[in-house]
Amino acid sequence: MTEEMEKNEVTESPVTTDGDIDTSAPARTLWGDAWSRLRRNKLAIFGAVWIVLMILVALTADLWVPQTLGSPTEADSTTMTQDSRLPPSPEHPFGTDTLGRDVLCRVIYGARISLAVGVLATAISTIIGLVMGALAAYYGGIWDTIIMRLADIFLAFPYILFVIAMLAVIGPGIQNVFIAIGILGWPSIARVFRSAILSVKENDYVDAARAMGASDARIVARHIFPNSVASIVVYATMNIGGAILTESALSYLGMGVVPPDPSWGIMIQDGQTYLATQPWLMLMPGLAILTTVLAFTLLGDGLRDALDVKMKDA
Amino acid sequence: MGKYILKRVLQFIPVFLGVTLILFAMENIVPGDPIKLMAGEKKLDPQTEITLRASYHMIETDDNGNPIYDEAGNTIETPMWKRYGLYVGGLLHGDLGTSFQRTGQPVADILLQKYPYTVRLAIVAIILEAIVGIGAGMVSAIKRYSFWDILVTLITSILVAMPAFWFGMLLQLFFGIVLKDVTGGSVYLPISGAGGPNAEFADWVYYILPACTLAAVSTAYCARIMRSQLLEVLNQDYIRTARAKGLSRRDVIWHHALKNALIPVVTYIGIDFGAMMAGAILTETVFNWPGVGYETYRAITQRDWPIVLGSVTVIVVVVMVINLIVDVSYAFLDPRIRYGAGKSE
Repeated sequence: MTEEMEKNEVTESPVTTDGDIDTSAPARTLWGDAWSRLRRNKLAIFGAVWIVLMILVALTADLWVPQTLGSPTEADSTTMTQDSRLPPSPEHPFGTDTLGRDVLCRVIYGARISLAVGVLATAISTIIGLVMGALAAYYGGIWDTIIMRLADIFLAFPYILFVIAMLAVIGPGIQNVFIAIGILGWPSIARVFRSAILSVKENDYVDAARAMGASDARIVARHIFPNSVASIVVYATMNIGGAILTESALSYLGMGVVPPDPSWGIMIQDGQTYLATQPWLMLMPGLAILTTVLAFTLLGDGLRDALDVKMKDA
Repeated sequence: MGKYILKRVLQFIPVFLGVTLILFAMENIVPGDPIKLMAGEKKLDPQTEITLRASYHMIETDDNGNPIYDEAGNTIETPMWKRYGLYVGGLLHGDLGTSFQRTGQPVADILLQKYPYTVRLAIVAIILEAIVGIGAGMVSAIKRYSFWDILVTLITSILVAMPAFWFGMLLQLFFGIVLKDVTGGSVYLPISGAGGPNAEFADWVYYILPACTLAAVSTAYCARIMRSQLLEVLNQDYIRTARAKGLSRRDVIWHHALKNALIPVVTYIGIDFGAMMAGAILTETVFNWPGVGYETYRAITQRDWPIVLGSVTVIVVVVMVINLIVDVSYAFLDPRIRYGAGKSE
């Protein structure tokens, strides 16, 4: 968002710090530098605050949500008919669903599922992507060809169909959702990491390390990884938002999280039937997805500018 | 150039084999016997079951298609590699196999029936994307930091963070339901289906909301790319020169800047069109659209693997061909790009 505006700020700051060689100034690390730039980006901070808030609410939900709003999964047969699909009110701020469950309560518990899937799926694809990207870039030659062709094959699949087919094989459920999204997400991360390594690999300090007898693993771990970690952090942050969107789509199609678990996608699908009469049933979970993904995008954009990462693919 | 195209076409082969092999492996791992699923509740008599298995190459047959039995009188299951060979052999002859669930229907016929809907919807969506995306991006770049620029940035950020199917439902809610209520039932748009002979509206009306839904996210990306490209081009020396020799800002933008800024945008739109050829499962599901994406999704959920294999194979080939066309035309649009010369990939 507003890339150019922020880019200008970013390009200015290194010039001033470089130009003014003041030895008395405290030493600034890459991360300290990035932090001071990120702090000035209001949208990124807004995104970060929203994410932290969501995580806090999701983690502490058990302590206060069931007491005030009731259970997110279980329906009480006595109140079911009288509480079915109530409009928003002070008692039920987002209304209730068909089974008389509070929608706000389900949205809060849905955050747990979305955040868990987003983070875990991204972690899986990042780890696979890092290993694959490192093998391809560092060893080159036949390794590079095999891994990158494999990445081509994975990328040639229509993504959402591939995930659905994978879930048809391993079955639905929250664990399988993040496994499927995670496993199929590695090629793009492998590509990003591969090109990051290729550009770092050319540096003299890598040659120097090798000349001093450092092993391949040591060179990758101590020299190449720290120098490409910025692009990985940015890519992973943006990827979490994408994974959350994929999870909601899968659950909406009925291939993801299994009811009665309160996934936002399932809630939207439930609400679709009552679009004409009780639109809040699909509006509220949709807004939850929108704000969460937006927060990750804003934070990702901010990190990219703060860390000055050139994103080719994004 | 010819060499480059040949190289790219040759790269199709491993991708094609890899994709079909992965799908074939999935079919074999997935729980549930498709022949039993076909029968549903009914019990198949053993002879019919054997004939069916033979016709789907699931058991070994002789040259006349009759099942071969082992000494114990049981049928012999065809190993996966042999079935894969038969499948690829059939593909090369244009035979995509036969559906499990839509009994006896060749997969190719089903796809021929579904594809026109997908292609037409994609064309409408692409036109929408190109006009709105390029227009919004241009306004945003030319009037940088203005109200319009901020508005475009805001809207694009929201669109890319939205689940597309939810956006489709919002459109249904506003143009199908709220609008109908407000106007007393006189003005509204259809929210489901693709029209037909007895439909309430003319066929083209049915394209409006699905096309908007399908185009939404891509339009946002298109506008962002257009904005950043145009801003980058406007910073170039030759633009400053053109301004310095006295050309108006309008002339500079229309005759000098736009052409160069459009190249990456056109590439993006081309690749996006390729992606839309995969069918839009979510858009098609929300709007009950009879396209190839929804058909493939249906086939996956019902374990109709011949359709899954056939449609994904066709989709992958179509997408690869479109991407190749985009890459090649890129070289024509931008003379700076030279494929095949040295290490330029």
